[in-house]
Amino acid sequence: MQAPALSNLRKSERKGKQVSAHNIQLSASLYSLSSYFVKDLFSFEDCLKSLKDNGFKGIELVAAQMVPEYPYPSDRWIGELRDLLAKYELEPVCYSAYIDYGIRSDRDLTEQEIVQFTVNDLIYAKKAGFPLVRTQHSISPALYEKMLPYCEKLNMKLAIEMHHPHHPHVPVWEQYLDLMHHKGKGYLGVVPDFGIFQLRPHHLLVERLKKAGFRAEKLSEVLDIHTARAPISEALAVGLTDLEKEFTESIYEKFNPISVTELKDLIPVSPYMHGKFYYLDNDELDPCVPYHQILPKLKEYGYQGHIAAEYEGHHFDMSVDVPEQLNRFVRLCNRHLA
Amino acid sequence: MVLDFQYDELLLPDQTLANQVVDGVSYGYAVAIRYPSYRGTFISCIESLELEMDGQLVKPDAIRFRLNNKEYLLSQLKELFKEHWFVLDTAHLVVMNNTGLSAGEHLVKIRLVHRIPYTGYFGQYLVLESVACKRLLCQT
Repeated sequence: MQAPALSNLRKSERKGKQVSAHNIQLSASLYSLSSYFVKDLFSFEDCLKSLKDNGFKGIELVAAQMVPEYPYPSDRWIGELRDLLAKYELEPVCYSAYIDYGIRSDRDLTEQEIVQFTVNDLIYAKKAGFPLVRTQHSISPALYEKMLPYCEKLNMKLAIEMHHPHHPHVPVWEQYLDLMHHKGKGYLGVVPDFGIFQLRPHHLLVERLKKAGFRAEKLSEVLDIHTARAPISEALAVGLTDLEKEFTESIYEKFNPISVTELKDLIPVSPYMHGKFYYLDNDELDPCVPYHQILPKLKEYGYQGHIAAEYEGHHFDMSVDVPEQLNRFVRLCNRHLA
Repeated sequence: MVLDFQYDELLLPDQTLANQVVDGVSYGYAVAIRYPSYRGTFISCIESLELEMDGQLVKPDAIRFRLNNKEYLLSQLKELFKEHWFVLDTAHLVVMNNTGLSAGEHLVKIRLVHRIPYTGYFGQYLVLESVACKRLLCQT
């Protein structure tokens, strides 16, 4: 299968210029290129080159995706990674990890095993030149606190992604944020995923819903009611099948954003942020994730650091031209950061 | 119904069915499969794996799962929590049918039930059923 053709723009136009009136830099998670990587359209090096060509300054690596010897990358692979990052002048921003509690069939992993996995990730991330490991909220506050001495010894940061449906005011996050602001300051931190601000279903989800049996006219009615922020009872009353009702409940649950002003208190403990997006029809507006609201607030609050583009449309459709999506993302961000 | 995790098209790549022969003796055939996801997994996350050839379910006892230069019985997969299946690597289902396959096209169907190991935080792991079916060529 051939890669979709890139647009005909000249390279200088495609390459997003970084805006310098603030200290926000755009990097990208290699996870954005998942569909190209798993379909063998792009090699690992092609992925790096594509990010460089789009003007990104750094990378996030999802180790369980791209490291052949995961969870124990070989010295040879790490050497190749370092050489490629130097070649494409890309900064290693984050080595991303999982809390795979469920890998065993007979029981969940024990706390000791989760610590073993996470220390392993910190060591290999450091070996590969990353200053930071991003882990998942399921680590638990108790284990997260236990990781602090390892972070101090290795001089590594360990951050947790704040992902929908979480937000700063769920109890577990109040504990995490307390650790990040106080005892673990400088080592523990939060990676806000902009999906916590997502407003309405994106184009690829709408298409999936239709394919899964949501009648187009009924879906349109539901989306209008949801967009008007009317209660779910109104949406469920338009004459839906049981499956359509289930989907409607899911839409109301998933697209239930918190205020972008919540970023203000997260910035002091955010080593970088996740620029989640699913589909950009243009470089002017993302109707799903409100970058036009998020980015001016980040500037206003004085955020300094990376936003890592995290394209996730591949979860819904692997045929999308991802380099073009990333290019639109860079231009969209620069538009709202200017 | 799961709306995301739409990676099933990866499961059955367009690779020929390969008869297994040792020193001129045919003992079976192999079907190439890939893990249908954006990331790799541990083999213990496979909860069920079924193969149908030309409409007939292949007996599980006749199948060996070959990955990372090792072969396992399907009944052993649940124990393999240290065996990683890299997302770009091809595994093979080796079917010990004594004869191999006849030359030509065969209808192959795979059903893989797999647990997503990081999803258990709300009390239950997401378990996906990935299915792929296509006609593949056996060249003898």
